[in-house]
Amino acid sequence: MIELMNDQLVFTFPEIHPDARLSIEFQRTLRIPDDGKTYSLPPGLGRFPLQHVDDFAADVPSAWLQRGGAMLPMYQAEAMWLNFNSTSVPGHWRPYPFAIKIATGKQCAVSGNAWASGMNRSPQDYLVAPTQPWLDGFVVKKGTIRQFVAMPLGSGYTAEEQLTGNAEHGGLQIAVCPMKRRVFEQRFPKRAKTRSRVSRSLDCMMTLCDAEATAGMDMGLAPGGSMRQEIYDDPFDNADWEMNTNSRCFVHLCNSLVWSSVTGSNPPHPAPTAKQYTKAGLPWFDYYDEKASINTGSSKLDGMKSVAQLSGEKGDVVLPENQSVSPENLVVYRKGLGKHELREGAF
Amino acid sequence: MSEFGSFLRECREAKRASNRQFSVRQLAARIGVEPSYLSKVERGQQPPPSEATIKALAAELEQDPDVLLAMAGKVSSELQAIIRQRPKLFAELIHQLKDMPDHAVLRLVREVRDGDW
Repeated sequence: MIELMNDQLVFTFPEIHPDARLSIEFQRTLRIPDDGKTYSLPPGLGRFPLQHVDDFAADVPSAWLQRGGAMLPMYQAEAMWLNFNSTSVPGHWRPYPFAIKIATGKQCAVSGNAWASGMNRSPQDYLVAPTQPWLDGFVVKKGTIRQFVAMPLGSGYTAEEQLTGNAEHGGLQIAVCPMKRRVFEQRFPKRAKTRSRVSRSLDCMMTLCDAEATAGMDMGLAPGGSMRQEIYDDPFDNADWEMNTNSRCFVHLCNSLVWSSVTGSNPPHPAPTAKQYTKAGLPWFDYYDEKASINTGSSKLDGMKSVAQLSGEKGDVVLPENQSVSPENLVVYRKGLGKHELREGAF
Repeated sequence: MSEFGSFLRECREAKRASNRQFSVRQLAARIGVEPSYLSKVERGQQPPPSEATIKALAAELEQDPDVLLAMAGKVSSELQAIIRQRPKLFAELIHQLKDMPDHAVLRLVREVRDGDW
């Protein structure tokens, strides 16, 4: 069962376990420079507003109604990361594990393969929460991703268009599958509470006045700048997952300029540029889990061209602001350290 | 004494036991009515006050405004507006839910619809 609550998708599986609950939020963030350098993780600048497509049936394309799901507004100047939050199960003090498949334009963001039902392990086409707290982009190499940035569907930049040659689906597709209850209770017996969470969301609201003019309503996700982010291999067995019980959702990405006329509400201000953000001394982030096995990435996804590379070849000007930055305020999270060892500054 | 009035007095006295600002006089001043009027409402000698006053009382006494309004025989103007937008649909819904146990009503959630893709 999927509900839309406080701009999050909340997946629950009461038939499996009363506390099997995963929320996925779509965090707004700045576009990291697409300049060949590899950057740390940018901050979360708040959730994208999320609405049922059915609530705006008269104003959205018929294809959106056919697919159902939810929709959110994106500016071309901004990027997105996904935050996975699995509810801690009382007594076990351990979040319930979920396998999560993420695709853009029905192309898997982890394996680069076309959308397929179920969770496939070779190559792995899903993430595991809570092992994986965030996903910021396409998994191109071991420890490196290319940021999810918004581009109009049909412009040739999106991952879908680069991988398939078609601009058919756009949006973001998500499927979630819970761990089997018996396996959860065997693997994670009841114990005392110990865990703390990591966070990279900022409360401050940033503004930026760069606007873009795009014609279509549908946006897709394209590979942007390069970022350090470890994507972890599934630490569990294939048989641990309740494969027959999964929920899926299509999240449509709506051009921000069109969002107001469809919903009657304004989208958030665009995110600041990386230069503005860094100049203000605000933090960037790194996250490492030294015990986890790291996914090697997808050669298919690595073969895509970034927005800057492609726009250079096409002679387009799609990134009005793409200046390199040198973040100095870096917050490093290392999983497994004690409560007072979570933050480490770079000097 | 009316159910609304006695509940009001009960809540106010409970607060007053630990906070003297919940005397009839002081509470009446904060919600903008005469103390004698509030006292009569508590004793059931006056009908329940307006929606705005009930909401102010609910905020002061940390009670659910919809529950307090219902005890006063009223439905908030906000809920009325929601029902008026789709009166037939909501009337049918409420009729169908009237005998459902609480836990079943609580299970009524709106799911994100999945379609063909």
